[in-house]
Amino acid sequence: MTEHTVASSYKIPVGPLHVALEEPMYFRVSVKGETIENVELNAGHVHRGVEYLATKRTLLQNMILTERICSLCSNSHPEALAMAAETIGAVEVPERAQYLRVIAGEVKRVASHLFNVGILAHLVGFEALFMHAMQVREVAQDLKEAVYGNRMDLGAHCLGGTRCDMDDEAIAFMRTALDKIEPDVRELEKTYRTNGSILRRTRGIGILTHEDAIACGVVGPVARASDIQYDVRTAAPYHVYDRLPVEVPVLDGCDVWSRAMIRLQEAVNSIEILWVCLDHLPDGPINDGGDPYIPPGQAIARTEAPRGELVYYLKTNDEPEPERLKWRVPSYPNWDALTFMLKEAKVADIAIIVNSIDPCISCTER
Amino acid sequence: MTRFPENFETSLSAAAPKGVNLTTTTDAHGVSVMWCELADRNDLTSVGECLRRYHARLAMVSANKPPAPEEEEDDNDDEEDESAAGETNEPEQPMSFGGTPQDGTSYELVYHFDVGGDYVNVVAFLPAGGSIASLTPLFRSADWPEREIMEIYSVTITNHPDPRRLFLDESIEGAVLDRLIPFSQMANASTSDELWARVMAAAKEA
Repeated sequence: MTEHTVASSYKIPVGPLHVALEEPMYFRVSVKGETIENVELNAGHVHRGVEYLATKRTLLQNMILTERICSLCSNSHPEALAMAAETIGAVEVPERAQYLRVIAGEVKRVASHLFNVGILAHLVGFEALFMHAMQVREVAQDLKEAVYGNRMDLGAHCLGGTRCDMDDEAIAFMRTALDKIEPDVRELEKTYRTNGSILRRTRGIGILTHEDAIACGVVGPVARASDIQYDVRTAAPYHVYDRLPVEVPVLDGCDVWSRAMIRLQEAVNSIEILWVCLDHLPDGPINDGGDPYIPPGQAIARTEAPRGELVYYLKTNDEPEPERLKWRVPSYPNWDALTFMLKEAKVADIAIIVNSIDPCISCTER
Repeated sequence: MTRFPENFETSLSAAAPKGVNLTTTTDAHGVSVMWCELADRNDLTSVGECLRRYHARLAMVSANKPPAPEEEEDDNDDEEDESAAGETNEPEQPMSFGGTPQDGTSYELVYHFDVGGDYVNVVAFLPAGGSIASLTPLFRSADWPEREIMEIYSVTITNHPDPRRLFLDESIEGAVLDRLIPFSQMANASTSDELWARVMAAAKEA
């Protein structure tokens, strides 16, 4: 028998095109046997230069452009941009519009979180649960379509308010949809909390300790699953969130399961917020009818997108186009956390762990 | 009243001996945003250390190259003010806080920190060709933004532990936001079989 020399560790590529990733990201994974020793991220496959383009478009055009950076948290981008511009121009947003902005944001949150936990079930191999979660999400999708005319990019916001109002018919439709979806989401939460197949593949997997989470500066459900109680809606309230029953669930499991549970609990809370909004929706205008004048200046605005804190920095001058428009999406700091989560993990768990940060690559690279 | 800790402004000012320009606004919800312009960009590290003591989280770093101010007075007889700009010419050169000329060649870097829900934006001004110390040794979350800034502008960030490209491939010339790139070139429409030749060459090497 000839003697073979066997390398003790191997490098395997995961991505940029991979069955378990919807978008291109390239992980260079060093493995020893089945265990991951090190991960190197190679980004840039969908870098499109949107930030440059934004400086060639007027603020109004940028409301359209920024909504198209990403599909899942699309609504949060024009929302934050409008808030930054309104800060510079000292524009007062009508109260009804502030409620409508909350409604658009929370409907998107329900749909986004259900999508992520649905994909988790798919990656675990629990296809029936995947189909069920997507079926429940479909109610939220129909709701968006009925109210805004679109299933993903709502186009809900405009500078100084919101673009579309909700009439009695739309409100009634939303109440029916919420009635339908609420028990289903609660049931899903119970399933993910107790089902053996889910628990076996997600408990203790993809650990991001509290200290590492702080070091990486992670945001959103990833942070809250590592015991960091931070949610822009309560830490730096905007719109009318300080009048709404926003709960910030926190878990100390630091694993894939905790992140899924945070998302499901938030989806339940979002539905509660939507009920309160519909009950208290004040009458009045939804915008001031024209495009507000935005003088030269600079401002920062933040919203809690489904994936966490979204930051917008806007600097204007005498031109109608912004001098600089910069944003940081929640996925951006969360990628770094993957190097901790994937350490010592099994190759078979890579997809589940990557999905647990709910990554958005087209957002990250712009 | 702001939610910032007691003596916060004093500590920030003490961390930047060359001077800071602080402005704070607080909105109707009681959320404050502070702008902290540094007179000297070399104070960035000590300001970073100060913010770290307040458990600040570095959320974002924005870089910007403000355009040169437009010359409004055309009735001026002197027509050579383009070449003499910033010299002994009459129309004075606008300066940033701290004295960096705002002539369209300088950069401003804004470091956005979260301090317990409020935001502190530390602004550092860099002249053309200037460099600034990396905050990555203090804040891990500065790693990606600093690498991104280095590839889109001709800004040097010193002491960065891993100054590789982030999004742009090594084969692409850097500082993409500093120069005009024709669309046909960007879309690769002006090249013919260059890509194919590279693929064939790579296949031979393998």
